[in-house]
Amino acid sequence: MIAARAAASLLRHRARTALAVLGVAVAAAMLLDMIMLADGMRASFRAMLDVRGFQLRLSPRGTLPFDTEATIGGAGEIARLLRANPDIETVAPVLGAALHVRVPGTADVSVVGLGVEPAVQGDYALVRGREAARPDELVANALLLRRTRARLGDTLTVAVGYDPQLRTARGTRRLVVVGEGRFFYLAADQPAAALPIATLQAMGGPERADRVSLFMVRARPGADVERVRAWIAERVPRVTVLSTATAMAAVDQRLSYFRQLAVILGAVSLVVGFLLVTTLVTVSVNERVGEIAVLRAIGVARSRVVRQIVLEGLVLSVAGAVVGLGLGLVTARYLNGILKAFPGLPASIDFFLFQPRDAAAALGLLVVTGLVAGAFPAWRAASLPIARTLRQEAVA
Amino acid sequence: MTVAARADRPPGTSRAPAVVLRDVHRDYPLAGEAVHAVRGVSLEVAEGDYVAVVGPSGCGKSTLLNLVGAIDRPTAGTVTIAGRDVSTLGDREATRFRLLTIGFVFQRFYLMPALSALENVELPMAEAGVGRDERRARARELLTYVGLQARERHRPAQLSGGEQQRVAIARALANRPRLLLADEPTGELDARTSAEVIALLRRVHEDGATVLVVTHDDELARAARRIVRMRDGRLEA
Amino acid sequence: MLHLALALTLLAAAQPPPERTIAVDERLAADLGLRVGDRVVLRARPEDAEGDTVRIAAVTRRGADPSEIARDDYRVRLHLGQLQALIGYGDRVDRFAVATTGDSGTAAVLRRVNDAAFGFRAYRSRDVAVETSRTFAVVSRFHRAIGVITIVASAIFLLCIMLLKVEERRRDVAALRLLGVSRASVVRSVVLEAAAVALAGSALGVGIGWVASAIVNAHYQGVYRTPLVFSLVTPGVVTLAVALSVTLGVAAGLLAALRLVRTPPLALLGR
Repeated sequence: MIAARAAASLLRHRARTALAVLGVAVAAAMLLDMIMLADGMRASFRAMLDVRGFQLRLSPRGTLPFDTEATIGGAGEIARLLRANPDIETVAPVLGAALHVRVPGTADVSVVGLGVEPAVQGDYALVRGREAARPDELVANALLLRRTRARLGDTLTVAVGYDPQLRTARGTRRLVVVGEGRFFYLAADQPAAALPIATLQAMGGPERADRVSLFMVRARPGADVERVRAWIAERVPRVTVLSTATAMAAVDQRLSYFRQLAVILGAVSLVVGFLLVTTLVTVSVNERVGEIAVLRAIGVARSRVVRQIVLEGLVLSVAGAVVGLGLGLVTARYLNGILKAFPGLPASIDFFLFQPRDAAAALGLLVVTGLVAGAFPAWRAASLPIARTLRQEAVA
Repeated sequence: MTVAARADRPPGTSRAPAVVLRDVHRDYPLAGEAVHAVRGVSLEVAEGDYVAVVGPSGCGKSTLLNLVGAIDRPTAGTVTIAGRDVSTLGDREATRFRLLTIGFVFQRFYLMPALSALENVELPMAEAGVGRDERRARARELLTYVGLQARERHRPAQLSGGEQQRVAIARALANRPRLLLADEPTGELDARTSAEVIALLRRVHEDGATVLVVTHDDELARAARRIVRMRDGRLEA
Repeated sequence: MLHLALALTLLAAAQPPPERTIAVDERLAADLGLRVGDRVVLRARPEDAEGDTVRIAAVTRRGADPSEIARDDYRVRLHLGQLQALIGYGDRVDRFAVATTGDSGTAAVLRRVNDAAFGFRAYRSRDVAVETSRTFAVVSRFHRAIGVITIVASAIFLLCIMLLKVEERRRDVAALRLLGVSRASVVRSVVLEAAAVALAGSALGVGIGWVASAIVNAHYQGVYRTPLVFSLVTPGVVTLAVALSVTLGVAAGLLAALRLVRTPPLALLGR
């Protein structure tokens, strides 16, 4: 009967209720989006870091992976040292370099070149074809294939730089495209190629000999990753060892703006939702003080009155939340589309990532808000002086 | 059908009073000054009696009714209803007491606008924890009793004033109260519907209910077994 | 752009000439406690044994460049030849900046350079600027989208509040109508009240916005250590906000008032 009365009272002013539900829905949509934004970036960044299970990354001291053009020297020796540690399962060296692919008749295509050891690489997933097993082979991404109009089995002329005085390309090689890969860490608008690291080092000449940009390290299952990290930091002082956690912290710091924005806008959404519900329920209680006084006079318990009014607030916020969650998913897609255009953003990173717990969090927050919003008017209604209210109603 | 409950008593004993007021005062502040709405009223209403309190408006009769109905508490004196001192009840007990022991009828009916006639009558029984089937059956019985069996699905707005007041009387009888209180029950009605309501109250009384009305409707007062006059917060001898 | 990992070591003792000079940015100077006249050793790679000992000749302040906002690295300026020698870059540079004699001159230079170029290209500074500010174009599109959503939300909110506010006046309106006041006057007074409420609300809102903007600026200027202004309350923004809220307020008031005066006064009183 409480539910019936709450429903009846909400349905009495349909336009008003609909508007409030709509308002709560927009607030809920915004809230969901902001929870997705606060959480999504981190989740998708973590997923990207964890995609191949490498927990540690070694970059030149004081830098983040591929943040600068600095490289680590004496790479072979470091790799040997790392591989000798029984707690380390896999060591994947990576050398990055800007490459230029000659396309007859048009300008060269600028390519992100990654030198890898194909057997242990963690930078891309093969979509078709095979790994670049031989020194004169490469794996390209779809964009590079499209730009060069190359197919698997074709040979590309690849250079590592230019010599303007001799008007020739430096470090030129003819490499066969043997596979197509999807690169985890690169932007969608970035042509990319992976080739054996020895080939890329050789193409770079003495500047690149025995140098890498990054080591990715996977610890053996069951090994204490933090201990491995500390061991590497101690044994190889020339590098910065980043664990997934420290990498996440660095990302957090750089993208703190979006999280703060999310927190502020999320809070504003909640406040707006709260104000809407509490205003509506207060007005609806004010209109019904006589009715409530009569209910109390004929023996309806205070707690029942409170429950009915709180229920009204709850119904408003839950109805708004349900509509809002759908709306939120649509706007999140739209907003994510805008932010995906960030230059250089890895294609696998999403700012707005839907996770069921986000919806649960938004719903939970709104339910709490609805309860709190209904609490004040409910308390007022419950503490109405019955006799005086009845007298005033009779006069009015 | 029982419309109202009576105290169990050994056969042959005299009827215990349903209402006992002993030197009851009620003051309340209004615009900074104390208004003495009820000043030293003593009154007994016997079980099964039908008493009308009459007097000019503002004489304190509604306040008196609220005191008897445990809606309001006296500033001084005691109010004993069905053997129970209600002047000291806490809110929870007073609410329960009103629900099970008192039936209220108001001048402006005060039915719940969102509920049908049947649901309005069911409301106090639902509150008292009566099962759905049982309360529905009794609500139908009561609507038949007040002659509105055909109107059970109607909302208050779809009923005339007289019909609304009859639904309100049915609602007041829902939990078989020991005492039926009516505050100007004909105040909003025309002569014809007033007569219907007066006849209904009389029948309720004849069927065993103890009834206390406050009114300045002479017709209604004449229907009572006893008339008590009130002026300036005091009963006139 | 060239980013170098530079290892700096403070030198206590003076070194013999010839002494090269560098400029460091404020952030580095503050973090390491460097002052003009201090000597430091520059190395291109941490593992290099030798380095150049240089004297700090100047401390520079970073420009308010939004594209560098999230980079919390340090900047050191050195003479070109010294940097080339230090990092073994040979006779190479990343780019040249070229000043021309005017717009037609620019076009001619672009054409001539790009015809003759091998391994490099000439761009207009304007186009480069567009490219480097892409990040900010994205952020500002994002902000605009959030702004639109906020406007929709506040419009609904305002509409709702106004509707309730007018509904609260049911009885007054009924009494006025029963006294013989015309519908037009009732509507006018309700709309006027709505406008006043909206105006007062937007004045308060502008105040809150101004304070919030000051807090945002202070906070992010501290976080990113930059003189950049992040949030700006301009007359245009204030005008938009006030106009929007007054328009919405009046519209909502009108809507609600029309609903009220169409209902017969006695029905408003609930009889």
